[in-house]
Amino acid sequence: MIQQSLVRELRAICGSYGVLDDPDALLVYESDALTAYRHRPAAVVLPRTTRETRESVAAIARHGLPIVPRGAGTGLSGGAVALNDAIVVGTARMNRILGIDAPNRRAVLQPGVINAELSVAARRHGLYYAPDPSSQTTCTIGGNVAENSGGPHCLKYGVTSRYVTGLEVVLPDGEVIRIGGQGRDAPGYDLVGLFVGSEGCFGIATEIEVSLLPVPESVRTLLAIFDRIEDAGRAVSEIMSAGMLPAAMEIIDGATIRAVEDSVFAAGYPTDAEAALVIEFDGLEAGLKGDAERARRRCLATGAREVRTAQDEAERAALWKGRKKAFGAMGRIAPDLLVQDATVPRTALPSVLRGISRISARHDLVVANVFHAGDGNLHPNILFDRRDAEELERVERASKEIMRLCVDAGGTITGEHGVGLDKKHHMTLIYGPDELNAMWGIRRVFDPGETMNPGKVLPDETQPVAAAVPA
Amino acid sequence: MSASPGSVAEIQALIRSAAAAGTPLIPVGRRSWPGAGGWAPKEGRALDTTPLKRIRHYEPADLTITADAGIGLDELDAGLAENGQWLPIDSPGAGSGTLGAAAATGGFGPLRQRYGATRDNVLGLEVVTGDGRLLRLGGRVVKNVAGYDLVRVFVGSRGSLGVITRVSMRLFPRPEEDRTLIYRVRAERALAMATALRRGHLPVAAVVLGSGGMEGGGGRAATLAARILGGGRGAREITGRVVAALGADPDEALRDEASRRFHDRHRQWEDDARLMVRLRALPDRLDEVVAIAQPVAAAVAGEIAADARNGVVRVKTPAAPAGRDEVVAALAGARGRVEALGGSLALDDAAGELGRRVGWVGRGGGAGGIVRRIKSLFDPHGVLAPRCPE
Repeated sequence: MIQQSLVRELRAICGSYGVLDDPDALLVYESDALTAYRHRPAAVVLPRTTRETRESVAAIARHGLPIVPRGAGTGLSGGAVALNDAIVVGTARMNRILGIDAPNRRAVLQPGVINAELSVAARRHGLYYAPDPSSQTTCTIGGNVAENSGGPHCLKYGVTSRYVTGLEVVLPDGEVIRIGGQGRDAPGYDLVGLFVGSEGCFGIATEIEVSLLPVPESVRTLLAIFDRIEDAGRAVSEIMSAGMLPAAMEIIDGATIRAVEDSVFAAGYPTDAEAALVIEFDGLEAGLKGDAERARRRCLATGAREVRTAQDEAERAALWKGRKKAFGAMGRIAPDLLVQDATVPRTALPSVLRGISRISARHDLVVANVFHAGDGNLHPNILFDRRDAEELERVERASKEIMRLCVDAGGTITGEHGVGLDKKHHMTLIYGPDELNAMWGIRRVFDPGETMNPGKVLPDETQPVAAAVPA
Repeated sequence: MSASPGSVAEIQALIRSAAAAGTPLIPVGRRSWPGAGGWAPKEGRALDTTPLKRIRHYEPADLTITADAGIGLDELDAGLAENGQWLPIDSPGAGSGTLGAAAATGGFGPLRQRYGATRDNVLGLEVVTGDGRLLRLGGRVVKNVAGYDLVRVFVGSRGSLGVITRVSMRLFPRPEEDRTLIYRVRAERALAMATALRRGHLPVAAVVLGSGGMEGGGGRAATLAARILGGGRGAREITGRVVAALGADPDEALRDEASRRFHDRHRQWEDDARLMVRLRALPDRLDEVVAIAQPVAAAVAGEIAADARNGVVRVKTPAAPAGRDEVVAALAGARGRVEALGGSLALDDAAGELGRRVGWVGRGGGAGGIVRRIKSLFDPHGVLAPRCPE
């Protein structure tokens, strides 16, 4: 139970609407988008400024309580779950774009700004913000910084860390530091790069400087339909090997196609197909036709039964629809969904996909694959019903086997969703004791008391006993 | 005196014994980044990383490569070219440097706008820290958010946290065509042209400017070079639009090998430098930064080159500058003015004296405590490049 004196103190800092401690109001904050993990926080604080954040963090630190930073709660790794009666510090009310510097293709914003809203605001200047996670209409840039988020178009443009050039950070003891800024070119350790992807364990970013890109003049979208998913995987490899660099290459498998076509999101994909590959090129109009034609020929050569090309914006949206609505449509098949996020080398895609289908058959589970094929970033979705305890066990076994399969293929356990709570026990699959020790050490550099989002990212049992960092 | 360990285990042993004896070690590659910005102490024993130079993993269709740190970027490039791929690292010194040093210096050149900086394309590292531990960080896949991103701390740390022994990089398709449009004009005109290209949002891969010396001509005229990478109709279209935006035909249009040679020379421009001064600010302040750099160039009898897209202006001099007090005053004045624009001024000084008198990098970001704790986390005995500027 939270002390009323702390609640009063926080209300004095953030105003009475800025602090939630009513158990019903706190329900909303008990999980992120991975609903398997649920813990109700002791309270939620919603500061409006850096000063309010700094004072709230300092007050909570004085009371010795842990803090969990939170954006929109759309994360998929349990990273924003408040363990051990932690207090959530949410950035929802820090949602102002502080400035767009069009001549330098740069924006400065508060962390609670919604990803897609930044692109909308930048569009007036002919610019946009490149990283586009699937949740971009609801997720915040602050959350993207914490998770180093990706998205379909990261194939060509790279992930969040390439675009974050400066940060103002409130450290776990309430100190405010500025790192990078005005282009992130200053000599010295790349603290901005280190902070991006730290999953809320190093502090709370209260001001973010990002770089923007010019809106591409033109876009070409293709949809290739395959009878075998391995052929779609091969098409991806061949397009990349041939020297093309599409903006995005996304595959959805047969199970997902059928889920989408049975739902209100029906996109007109053939339901007897085993894979649909969406390919998108962007750039100057003059170069796109040649690229699209070369990609079309590669798809046909690797076994595509048909390739559709969008002629206008409406057709483009239709080709993307099956991919974008895949997660929503799966709700029709099963009440629960476990989204995985492994990345494998692109050339390993066909064999890993075969392995995943063997594992799902062995455990009698339905696995639907939707993934960023160009990056080798897989999202096998295991469909299940958590009320069935025996099925839940099979899900856990299959999930672990899939993870192991991807690591053995030269891959990693998470490409863009983060480790959070969900994957921290898989960290030992890819890192040894020295690497994990170094990560504990770097966490303590920022957060010596381990009060900022404790219990995430690193497996508890790997925690070194002695404090590794001198003050 | 230098040591040339032939294996990672030997590097670990060397570091452990140096730590025990309290003798500093300076990791080096081919020594093409002179002075290392004051990060390397003058005293200390060089640890030569060049004996380890094997390619460990290269699957062309994955567009990634893993190789030992000591391999030269030139040697690497020869192998990549056979598969129509390349590693677009064009930071100064990269022409003659090693892969490990490219990661350790973490720089960027004009191609950053198109391909990202070196740090954006390093996927994984193997490093031996200052207490002799071998860490395998990151991986060899292009998207990876497993755990804290320690790769970022080591990239650009200039050997002060660990000796990089192996690097995994993201590769790119080699552009089908490489062309460069060269304009020889007055300096003010060159700056105006760079501004026109920036505002036009054209996908030009690089825009570099130089005083005559960059071209080897030595005259007062400036050079603006716009590089266009890619093939087919797209590249022709960009070329046409660049010419239209600049309102004039180029004095020279270089294609493929000639274009590459031009940019290679630009990359090697610093190789003979005794003093390098790097100024940078936001790209739309380029005119002002060039104006700030001019008195510095005059004081050291140096040449100026600019990377217009990234807002970087460099002054180099191949001779050790005379008139120290004047030079110190010119550098301090320039730093004050560029910092007032929100930018920075950093030095590479082979002799070291100017760096010590003026300061290597200027004011820090206010995160000094964190920087010091990171240094002592990975190099607790201060055995690696102990002078770590903030």
